Amino acid sequence: MSSATALPPRGMLRIATDATLDKLLSGRGIWPAVPAIVVLAAVAVIPFGILLSLGFSDIAVERGAIISQTFTLDYVRTALADPLTFTVFQRSMVLALSTMLLCLFFGYPVAYLFLIGGPWVRRLILVLTIAPLLTSGIVRTYAWLVILGGRGLVNNTLIEIGLIERPLRIINTHWAVLIGMAQIHLPVMILPLIAVMSRHDRRLDEASANLGASRLGTLVNVILPLSVPGIGTGAALVFTISYTTFVVPQLLGGGNYLNAATMIYEQVVYSLEWSKGSVSSMILMATCLVVLVFIALITNHFTRWTKGREA
Amino acid sequence: MHEPVDANADLLTPPVLSIGGVTKRFGPLTVLDRCSLDVAEGEIVTLLGPSGCGKTTLLRCIAGFWAPDAGTITIDGADTVRVPVNRRPVGVVFQSYALFPHLTVAKNVAYGLRMRGMAKADIAARVARALETVALSDFAGRYPAQLSGGQQQRVAIARVLVLEPRVLLLDEPFNALDAKLRGAMQVDLRQLIKRLGITAIFVTHDQEEALTMSDRIAVMRAGRIEQLAPPEEIFDHPATAYVADFIGSSNFWQSHAEGGRVNLPDGQSAPSHRAGDVTIMVRPHNLAIRPGEDGPLKGAVGFQRNIGALVEYHVATDGGGTVRVMAMRQERGRSIADGTRVTLSILDPNLCAVYEPQ
Repeated sequence: MSSATALPPRGMLRIATDATLDKLLSGRGIWPAVPAIVVLAAVAVIPFGILLSLGFSDIAVERGAIISQTFTLDYVRTALADPLTFTVFQRSMVLALSTMLLCLFFGYPVAYLFLIGGPWVRRLILVLTIAPLLTSGIVRTYAWLVILGGRGLVNNTLIEIGLIERPLRIINTHWAVLIGMAQIHLPVMILPLIAVMSRHDRRLDEASANLGASRLGTLVNVILPLSVPGIGTGAALVFTISYTTFVVPQLLGGGNYLNAATMIYEQVVYSLEWSKGSVSSMILMATCLVVLVFIALITNHFTRWTKGREA
Repeated sequence: MHEPVDANADLLTPPVLSIGGVTKRFGPLTVLDRCSLDVAEGEIVTLLGPSGCGKTTLLRCIAGFWAPDAGTITIDGADTVRVPVNRRPVGVVFQSYALFPHLTVAKNVAYGLRMRGMAKADIAARVARALETVALSDFAGRYPAQLSGGQQQRVAIARVLVLEPRVLLLDEPFNALDAKLRGAMQVDLRQLIKRLGITAIFVTHDQEEALTMSDRIAVMRAGRIEQLAPPEEIFDHPATAYVADFIGSSNFWQSHAEGGRVNLPDGQSAPSHRAGDVTIMVRPHNLAIRPGEDGPLKGAVGFQRNIGALVEYHVATDGGGTVRVMAMRQERGRSIADGTRVTLSILDPNLCAVYEPQ
């Protein structure tokens, strides 16, 4: 009698086990995400932890392996005190923000054309937006070398129409980097905008016109506010890849153009100062996050109407 | 084919909206074929027809979303066809209301006034008055998604009424509402439009809605207006077999007319303005049903259902085909059981309509 009450009846135990098994097999709860979590831990969280630890320690490297590691705040302190850090991150920030604005400036009209265009215009825009993504970024960057070079398309044309006498120095400047980045990152801005536009209810535009709005009035008062989620996503994506970009500044900015990514590359690959590179990476990541949060806050502010849908 | 309906029949005042021979084609398809229609001040005219009959196309031409390929549209005597959509004195209530989801109720209603560049204080006053008219003053700060279907519809109406349009266009405004709410909203909306004295065009495929809402109904078929008349006339004297079939339920027989009389299936005869082969139409409530076989129109009850005070019988006649009969349900009396042999007779032969043969 007493043993029967102390232990749960056999039947009940079995039900419990079955439920767990059932949960596992039917993929309920957190289980479906487990493989992804394992992979992420292996390839992202752990390396990031190692990187973080490098920034806060003195290391001795011998034949590519760390042989000793002692805790220090020296690298963080030095990096934050170094005026070069500030200059480079400021340059990266300005470059990324202006790329973002340029992409928005050129991308939004394309998205608007997509909205008002017929099926063939839509297809054409989609193909022209996605096609460049199928080619390597490096190839597209080299193309800009040809276009912007001393005897490139731009300079030759300008000389031929007599606007300038000697070729302008575009390549290996901040402007070349900006032009190249804006073009190469443009699809990343256009795609989320198009996604929003394809869901846009055109009857709202008709209602707006019926209520007396001009095409511009409808664009400003109806289409623009409703495409804020797309603008937010596009801006966040373009900012992130522009802020952390390596290839374009390296190729179009010439050897001495230093942005955050090229600086980290030099610190890690050329000077073998892994701790310095680690600190720079952390600054890059932190500042990037700050801007992303800022973009998210602005997007949220302009999409307040989507909250509190319950009547 | 039928001649286009004469639109200018018995209008005492000059029409607010006048549509003359409007034609619209999409590729090889003629969606509107020489539609003409005059609407008087304060009148509610319904465009009624099945989907694809062109009623929404005509509405969109009046609103200016589409340009007609031929024909005229005038409002208060002024040609409107070339007036851009945002300058027409026309207010549209869309099928799904098309409320701006990112604007509050008050801002939705204020939108049109803002586009007209009105002063802020005036806008606030007029918006408040419009919201009061549709009894939504307490919801001014809500977003459309936080409203019920009926409330959304009222916002859509207030949003155009605040602009005091000359013509109000309503595109199936009750479609998005559940059946129970629909009836009440129909009565409310008609009373509101009548109280404000607005000229309105109302598009629907629902005959009950049309009968409730309209001063006149234009029954449309394949891009043409088949009959334009007040609801009672449409119901009692449908001009064509198509209208008779579309409005209310009807029974049709092929028959022969001679010397101004037409033979009816139950052995009686009725006056006829046609001669030769004709189609005759008898409404279900113009038929009497009795058990037994003592007349020429015989059959067996195949199906029956109670509709409140009425019983509808489907009688399979011996001549083939099913005839619908509507009879009063006798109190405590038993209805005629399924399978019973019955005889049908026409109550009033003069109410039978005679059309060209089909």
